[in-house]
Amino acid sequence: MNERRILRTAILSFWTLFWGLSVLDKIIPGVHFLWVGKDFFALFVKFFGSLGISDPLFPTLALAGVSALEAVNFTFHAVTMVRHIQRNEYATDYWFFRAILTSTALFTLFSIADQVFGDRFQLLEHSLFWIILIGTWWVFNALHKESNEKREFPQRRMFRRSLVLGIALTLAVCVSVSGFSSRTFFKVNAPVVGIEVVEGIYKFDFPFLADKRVLESTIASFRENHPDLEITYIYTGPSELNSKKKTHLLLYVFTE
Amino acid sequence: MNNDQKLGAWKQDRLLKGVILVFWTCFWSFNVVDKAIGGSIFLWVGRDRFAQFQKYFASAGLEAPLIADAALYVAAALEVFAFVFFAGALWNFVRQRFQQARSWCFIGIIVTLVTFTFFSIGDHLFGDRFELLEHTLFWFVTIASWVVYVRLEDESPVFSSQQTMGSRRYQGNGSVVILAIGLMILTTGSIFKYNNDFFYRRTAAIEAEPVGKDLFKVAFPFLGGSQVFEETLAKFQREHPNKSIDHIYTAPNPLRLKKADALIFYIATKDRMVAIENKSLTHE
Repeated sequence: MNERRILRTAILSFWTLFWGLSVLDKIIPGVHFLWVGKDFFALFVKFFGSLGISDPLFPTLALAGVSALEAVNFTFHAVTMVRHIQRNEYATDYWFFRAILTSTALFTLFSIADQVFGDRFQLLEHSLFWIILIGTWWVFNALHKESNEKREFPQRRMFRRSLVLGIALTLAVCVSVSGFSSRTFFKVNAPVVGIEVVEGIYKFDFPFLADKRVLESTIASFRENHPDLEITYIYTGPSELNSKKKTHLLLYVFTE
Repeated sequence: MNNDQKLGAWKQDRLLKGVILVFWTCFWSFNVVDKAIGGSIFLWVGRDRFAQFQKYFASAGLEAPLIADAALYVAAALEVFAFVFFAGALWNFVRQRFQQARSWCFIGIIVTLVTFTFFSIGDHLFGDRFELLEHTLFWFVTIASWVVYVRLEDESPVFSSQQTMGSRRYQGNGSVVILAIGLMILTTGSIFKYNNDFFYRRTAAIEAEPVGKDLFKVAFPFLGGSQVFEETLAKFQREHPNKSIDHIYTAPNPLRLKKADALIFYIATKDRMVAIENKSLTHE
């Protein structure tokens, strides 16, 4: 088992996919069937709008520049992957260094923009990606220096038993997942039943699966069940009212 | 380095490697348990991954639960095998078969990297940038764990000099223990006192403070939850029978004093309309 080669393949696969999908996200703006992605154009327009620049030319140019750099990053990583598959060590190291350099340059640019636009969370996000890239480069080059170092395989008997155990556990989890899915999927559009917590005020505890359709069917069902009541107001319980991760959404309906 | 120092360094290396294996074995075993349980039950909240996956795929136009199930099967299989290989590494490690433990750990690391790569593809597809950062960080933590695991086998001077420090005997251990116990007593006493004095805030109704005409402010304690909210509304209705709640306005975060204010909301009221004997409506 050549640990160095396997680890390098894992690293290159991750970053090639990372940049490849980032480029694809720029090629497919907006939400489509089988692709949601992120609307970077809207984000850039808002950022530039906050600077007082409302002309869409500027965010368009900025996004085009970022996309171009991402395309370069993807190309360099893809070339590195090809060289790695061809077992050309020198060319792999050479191209990976270029890929890391352009990637860190992009995150440096992002972090400058984050400071200009005052987005501290994105600054943290981009700085973390930046240090991860540098760390990755170190692991890629310095961890296993010997290119032909070989390590022993796990014991055959124990390995076989582990595979059997893994398959059995996976099947057990799959059965459990299927059961949970079939037991709870009806919540995707089933109306929620309200509880009168204070006179004239009803609480609705929405499940995690619920979306806008559940809200609509809940209101319709409530009206049907309480024809004598008039809904005067709907209050969305803020997150502070939730029991941390257990509650998804609380809704209070005020009636007269 | 004398024999005692070498022994101390050796013990620290082994202990840290054991800690790494225990961490990843626990990490993946609890993830598998979370998948198996699914929802929230008594003594386990976990995360409803089916709901999360279902919403992700529904946002991409695939609403059939079978798709979310299939994605969860793949995720579960990867997590199960990561768990199995780390558990195998730990087993070999406890049995002092260190070369075998390394091989099992390496396979566990690779399965973990594949798992987080798989998740990050999903994050790109569904446009969840926060989860992408989270999974990239986990991916990197996995690599960093491997680096530390492998480096602990080296006899580099940096590691050796740091490690041997632990094998020396320090003066003043007794005063450190006394200080630690003193601080433990102090903090424990303070926590129990706070619990005794303020736990009622978890359920007790809050007084609505009038701040303008037909406007009342309610400042929540940090302990407050939905029960406090409901009790507060009930108390408000009891104390103001002539008023009806028109709407509730939650003060947004920028209006709160950073971390000092918990939830603040305002109750806007109007005079209650009552039916009088001649059946016409009038303000009370």
